[in-house]
Amino acid sequence: MLSVRSLHKKFSRDIKYNLFYGMKDLVADAFGQAPNYMQLRKKEFWALRNINFDLSEGEILGIVGANGSGKTTLMRLVSRIYHLEVGQIYGKSDHKITAVFALGIGMRPLFTGRENLYIKGSMYGMTKEEIDAKMTFIEEFSELADQLDRPLGNYSSGMRARLAFAIALATEPDIFIIDEALAVGDSVFKTKCFDYLKEYVKRPGKAVLFVSNHIRKVLKVATRVLVMKKGQIIYDSTDVKAALNHYILHCLDHLDEDQQQFKLKRVQEYDM
Amino acid sequence: MNYIFLICARKIFQHKPLILNSPEKADIPSELTILHPQSRTGFVRQYRTMLNNLQSYSFFTKQLVRISILKDFKRSYIGLLWLFILPILSVISWIMLNGAGIIDPGNTTIPYPAYVLLSTSIWGFFVGIYQSTSNVLRNRKNMITMACFPHEVLVLEKIWVHLIRFTIPFAINVVVLLLFGIHFTWAALLFPLTLLPLLILGVGIGLIISLFRIVAVDIAQLFDRGIGFLMFLTPIIYTDEVKIKWLSSIIAYNPLTYLIGFSRDVLTRGTFFEPTNYGICVLFTFVFFLVAVRIFLNGEPRVIERLISN
Repeated sequence: MLSVRSLHKKFSRDIKYNLFYGMKDLVADAFGQAPNYMQLRKKEFWALRNINFDLSEGEILGIVGANGSGKTTLMRLVSRIYHLEVGQIYGKSDHKITAVFALGIGMRPLFTGRENLYIKGSMYGMTKEEIDAKMTFIEEFSELADQLDRPLGNYSSGMRARLAFAIALATEPDIFIIDEALAVGDSVFKTKCFDYLKEYVKRPGKAVLFVSNHIRKVLKVATRVLVMKKGQIIYDSTDVKAALNHYILHCLDHLDEDQQQFKLKRVQEYDM
Repeated sequence: MNYIFLICARKIFQHKPLILNSPEKADIPSELTILHPQSRTGFVRQYRTMLNNLQSYSFFTKQLVRISILKDFKRSYIGLLWLFILPILSVISWIMLNGAGIIDPGNTTIPYPAYVLLSTSIWGFFVGIYQSTSNVLRNRKNMITMACFPHEVLVLEKIWVHLIRFTIPFAINVVVLLLFGIHFTWAALLFPLTLLPLLILGVGIGLIISLFRIVAVDIAQLFDRGIGFLMFLTPIIYTDEVKIKWLSSIIAYNPLTYLIGFSRDVLTRGTFFEPTNYGICVLFTFVFFLVAVRIFLNGEPRVIERLISN
């Protein structure tokens, strides 16, 4: 239901060059000139290089990779936050994509939980009627019914996460992108979320993209795993365990084989 | 000169595919379509999409406006009453200045303090909307880099908030003008309409500068200073009959002279200030606004990735 083909994205290492190129591109673009995107300029690097993958219905696709390997950049491209320059993303035109990058975005501490629901819900493109219709679901899922009229500033971080996650689910997206957003909240709530996601993708036309560095979570939730390294997909498999081992080994590829095996065992002991 | 302008205008409006190597659609299921359209849409279609976006996100706009207005008063006991108290306080200081007797700078048919009071608030209307729109992308950078929604919503929010914040003090100013002994005519009812060109001029400049504020802070800074300085080149705190030669020729070519002068005269005298020049300026303003919105919509997706959020 989503196909990504030869996607590229480049960024600049240096802040001044970054801004200078931004201005150059802006002016060039205003006059209809398109510079060759495939050519790296000074201080630029590929944040994503030739990314190809398909997402099918009913999948929870885990995306793992070392820090800075391009996971979030890829998600921002899929969720249409970043402008796509080279490559193509295919999907159904009436798809609803909800992406959760940071749970606190758009939330105001001085306003009550319920007011914040309306702010966030509308940010995801919902109307007042749609949010009202989902209110019971949100109250039940977040288990915050009696606290919704307290100011958000008085909530604990776990409670905020519950609220934010509940409203994101209430948008009923076809493709749900979770980027490290389930790192907070208590274990009972997290369990509930994962169970919900597993049930959710069983509905027709739903899929989840799950970005995480918590190997254990990916192992338990994902039905397929993409491993990213330096802006490229180096492994794509439905054998989750094999993919995760591959990921850990590749994080350690500067070591010799014995050390790698040793480290792999250590990581497995902590995380799997 | 005209030729260069024509070339630039054609470049801005032409449709051009911006993508160089589009992969074939060979292995893609037929029910899937391209999610990120990469060729530039036409002028009319772009505006239609924008209006559709604004409509489907109207509840979001409403929420944002509500937050912006309420957030300053959420913790105060008297809440929104501050919206009225602050302008009344500033008006009192103006009345006291009048009582102190300021030197009369020229032939004004209305008392000088009233003239300045009105001119500065019209000026403030223009500068205020420039400032808030030119900061729109930077101030909301976290929301912009973390969620996907049409960013023109943020601009509309700024306009609404600005109108609300302007109307209340202005209504109080009108009362003061009455106290100064100014008689309003029926033409004064046209006044809100005459603010429209100032509004869209401010928004238009602000939209272009909002892009520069991300990729070229220096240019944005220069514009901020420049617009502040422009106040002294426009008959705001003096009348348009100044005797300094170089200044009066600048005033004559400054579109704001007509845009602001017309608004002011309609309200205070019920006359039309330089109608021909005003008409030309209004026309120019509208064309500029349409171009500025297009530049913003085209340029904004490209600068978003240069935003550095935390």
